[in-house]
Amino acid sequence: MRSTQTPDRLLHPRVARTAMLVALVSTLTWLGVAFAAWPVTVVDDLGREVRLEAAPQRVVSLVPSHTETVCALGACERLVGRDTFSNFPLVVLDLPELGSAFAPDLEALVALRPDLVLVDEYSGAADALAPLGIPVYAGTPQRLEEVFEVIDRLALLLGTPDEAALLRGRLRGELDGVAALVAGRERPTVFYEVDPSPYSVGPDGFIGTLIALAGGANIVPAELGDFPLVDPEFVVASDPQVIVLADAPYGVSAAMVADRPGWAGIAAVVDGRVVELTQDQSDVVSRAGPRIGEALQLLARILHPEVF
Amino acid sequence: MSVARVSSAGVAVRRLTRPLALSTLALALVVVLAAGIGSVRIGPADVTAATVRGIEGSVRAALGLAPSVSVDAGQRVIDTIVWQIRLPRVVLAALVGAALALAGAGFQGVFRNPLADPYLLGAASGAGFAAALVMVAGGTLGVLGAFSVSAAAFVGATLTVLAVVALARRGWTLPVVPLVLAGVVIGSCLAAGTSFVLLAAREQAAGILTWLLGSLAFASWDRVGSLLPLVLVAAAGMLAAARALDVLQLGELAAAHLGVSVEALKLGVVLAGTLATAAAVSVAGVIGFVGLVVPHAVRLAFGPDHRRLVPLAAVWGAGFMVLADLVARTVIAPAELPVGVVTALVGAPFFLVLLRRRSAA
Repeated sequence: MRSTQTPDRLLHPRVARTAMLVALVSTLTWLGVAFAAWPVTVVDDLGREVRLEAAPQRVVSLVPSHTETVCALGACERLVGRDTFSNFPLVVLDLPELGSAFAPDLEALVALRPDLVLVDEYSGAADALAPLGIPVYAGTPQRLEEVFEVIDRLALLLGTPDEAALLRGRLRGELDGVAALVAGRERPTVFYEVDPSPYSVGPDGFIGTLIALAGGANIVPAELGDFPLVDPEFVVASDPQVIVLADAPYGVSAAMVADRPGWAGIAAVVDGRVVELTQDQSDVVSRAGPRIGEALQLLARILHPEVF
Repeated sequence: MSVARVSSAGVAVRRLTRPLALSTLALALVVVLAAGIGSVRIGPADVTAATVRGIEGSVRAALGLAPSVSVDAGQRVIDTIVWQIRLPRVVLAALVGAALALAGAGFQGVFRNPLADPYLLGAASGAGFAAALVMVAGGTLGVLGAFSVSAAAFVGATLTVLAVVALARRGWTLPVVPLVLAGVVIGSCLAAGTSFVLLAAREQAAGILTWLLGSLAFASWDRVGSLLPLVLVAAAGMLAAARALDVLQLGELAAAHLGVSVEALKLGVVLAGTLATAAAVSVAGVIGFVGLVVPHAVRLAFGPDHRRLVPLAAVWGAGFMVLADLVARTVIAPAELPVGVVTALVGAPFFLVLLRRRSAA
């Protein structure tokens, strides 16, 4: 490196001096910012303390919503690996794939030399990676409010508090905006189908909360839990005005729903308000990440097309 | 007793040592192969160096010495992959395979039923139910930490079989048919419980299902260490019972007349097999087919003498499992096949070929 020749008078000395001064000041500022906050400690959903000595530069995300959050916090370029299902924003598709969160390719993961790994709390990955000295954050948001908590926690780990504040503000604004649009309107009854079993969503879970904010009335009562398997008879008896098929990407169609015994008379089927979500839409609605505003708007458009 | 001693001890030993030596050699080759292959390409020299450094590091740690000179970052990654991820997984696979094959050989012998497998008495369902409950409860039980699910599975498997034994016993005897029936019924009951837990806890369902399908991912030396003594005790018990198991093949009555304490034998083999099964299930989930087919394959290849069958089944079970896991973790990398899928897909045709050859000969 020392042998590199510097051409004479590439820069005017005064310009060079100013540039050096700017560089020095910005470096010191950066150092101040970088070292003021570190080390940081965050408690994850497994109750373990995740301690980082410095801002992570090589992050692996094995949870699609975390991948989106990391990118929304402006740290997309620090991602070095992802799980198979992480597909947004599109740039992450170039990252090495490490399998699913529940059976990740540990060898390939370690070979990426990550300094922070984000995993689902129900995956065994956290237990496997912690002894290897790799910091692991295990946890996923299950409720709408937890999305904001996770944004804060990840921002703390990544050292991006300003981006987190902006993101939270933007998301609050998006949520409030849509909620204001549909406020006071009559709430259509909704059946949200996760899969043809049929599994649905309870009103307290992440998607259920979005449905309520979007001005819908979920037919599933809260006591059935967040992801209940419901009796088809119950759906027929509840006679929902709208049916949302989040399982449409897996082959379920409005026509198939109409063909189910007894379903032809349901209001949603009669009125043609059985909505097939695309894969992208299904991803948006099911991921508790930085696209909740988009998800809410999507649901509001389905439930209150007259407003948009 | 005298009947079984007709063949001299020397002949019996010779008839065991050669196949056992050859089988162990084959197992060693398989282990080396599996240690050399993974989703990350690492050359044989690096694998060897990382292994040597890993052993050295462990010995130093055990002796309380400071770690030797640190290596550079690239090498440290290779060391981590080889020594902390790949090798423990290979060794764990070998132990699990050996345990399941041992249990299968023992159960087939003691029940004199070719369809017996390690899960016959409900160990898998008991382990699965207990593991699912713990995962729903948050995955940790106090001080057990990361071992909570394993510990629960071990206890669940053991308690289930003990309950089955208690239900089936008639006084101090253990009739085989009620034992098997009780095992099947309690097994179904607990499997239904697991299904219910799966339905009720959607959030944790993916984790539970992955566990139920069986996986050797997330292996560690700690797990190897917790499994090894259990498998050794079970193997010792099964080996001690081997000669009596040979006599038992004549029928319970005949065996009793020949001096075998049949009830003690049955209870002993059931306990040893359960210990092995519970240990295997606790670290690897429910992996099918190995315990059923490996003893049969060994019987077809080396004959039905339990003194040979038991040790050889352990060695071949280990080798088969290491190979199956190698396929599971490499064939669609970075994704992973459930190892139980591989054991069935690879094992079934192999077994059928062996069966055809045998019946043609």
